Amino acid sequence: MIEFLDATKKFDDKVAVDNINLQIPTGSCFGLLGSNGAGKSTMLRMISGVYECDGGKVAVDGVDVYNNNSVKERIFFINDETIQFTTMTLKELKNFYKPYYPNFSDEIFDKLNAIIKLPEKRKLSTFSKGMKRQAVVIVGLACQTDYIMLDEAFDGLDPTMRIIVKKMIIDAMASRNLTAIISSHNLMEMSELCDRVALVHNGKIVFSNEVGSHDIIKIQTAFAQEVTTEMLIEQGIEVLHFDAKGSVCNIIIKGEIDEVRAKLDKFEPSFVDTIDLTLDEIFIYEMEGLGYDFDSIGE
Amino acid sequence: MVFFEIDLKSRTPIYEQIYKKTVELIIKGELKENDQMPSVRALSAEISVNPNTITKAYALLEKDGIIYSLSGRGSFVAKVELEKVADFLLADFDRCALDALESGISPSILVDRINTLSKKTDIT
Repeated sequence: MIEFLDATKKFDDKVAVDNINLQIPTGSCFGLLGSNGAGKSTMLRMISGVYECDGGKVAVDGVDVYNNNSVKERIFFINDETIQFTTMTLKELKNFYKPYYPNFSDEIFDKLNAIIKLPEKRKLSTFSKGMKRQAVVIVGLACQTDYIMLDEAFDGLDPTMRIIVKKMIIDAMASRNLTAIISSHNLMEMSELCDRVALVHNGKIVFSNEVGSHDIIKIQTAFAQEVTTEMLIEQGIEVLHFDAKGSVCNIIIKGEIDEVRAKLDKFEPSFVDTIDLTLDEIFIYEMEGLGYDFDSIGE
Repeated sequence: MVFFEIDLKSRTPIYEQIYKKTVELIIKGELKENDQMPSVRALSAEISVNPNTITKAYALLEKDGIIYSLSGRGSFVAKVELEKVADFLLADFDRCALDALESGISPSILVDRINTLSKKTDIT
């Protein structure tokens, strides 16, 4: 398990990660969501042990990760930049990482590259952005670490390669209980792959929970009488969004479904349906709650 | 292996799709009482779905008495009362039927339509 314990990271006077407490369970695929500059990459670098916390700590299975080689050899971090290795060939890249990771498997490397088919003897500088990324991904998976992190996981990968990389991560999770921590702006892909997600905003965690069990719910209902947002709020229902088409109302509510249903029952609805929200919708409603005004964009 | 098809574009969470699909396969008779469910690992590899998501679906199926597990041997289909699970599958139907009624379509038209569909698919 990875834990942020009151962890803070500052760059000069800018607080990038602000007193975060977060748990990432072993064996999960954990997604970090957030706008640009929210603090996701800083968090991943803190987990990888390259940033020293300015307050609190980041612990991997109870041990502080900063500057601790025995923990770091169990973590592989795939940066969102791949420029640092451009003078190497794929084979050299593999041999560069190999000594640092005791579980490195040439067999897995060969197996993965048999699928992706990257040239082993060409310099990475001649690779496209997506190919460089694939190169680091297969080296990372061959290191057989307990934890793997992918910053901007699917950046630069074509649709086929996205499916292949996703499948490789899932297979490693199923076969050896790999814990994957990924950040991406592609929310559709995040909801496919991750079992837990956290939203980061201004260096703080807005929420962290299981995919598909979020406290924002969309309800479709119909009332015989006229019901307004104000009437719902009076009953203690936290309404994020309300629109009515004829007698059918779509309401976005923050709360627990059974409680909300009980409160709605007072208005004698003819039916109450809950509609599952997509991760995109959750992201937008949460960000709206944080003061992002999507409606004003484009006016 | 029984075919579990997952629609990644659907708004229904993946664990719920696996749950629904299992119930569907039981109702259709493709999965019978005491049939072994695919292992989490095998199904994960087969449909490229996060193993934790499959574990979650299996846990819910077990909680609702649709499957049972034997330690070290895997999960199996339980004896399921079809009336009990039918409600679950009919939630979408209820919504569509209500939409139609709201739009002013008479119940008899809906009944006719169900009869027509039933003849087409040869299911009674």
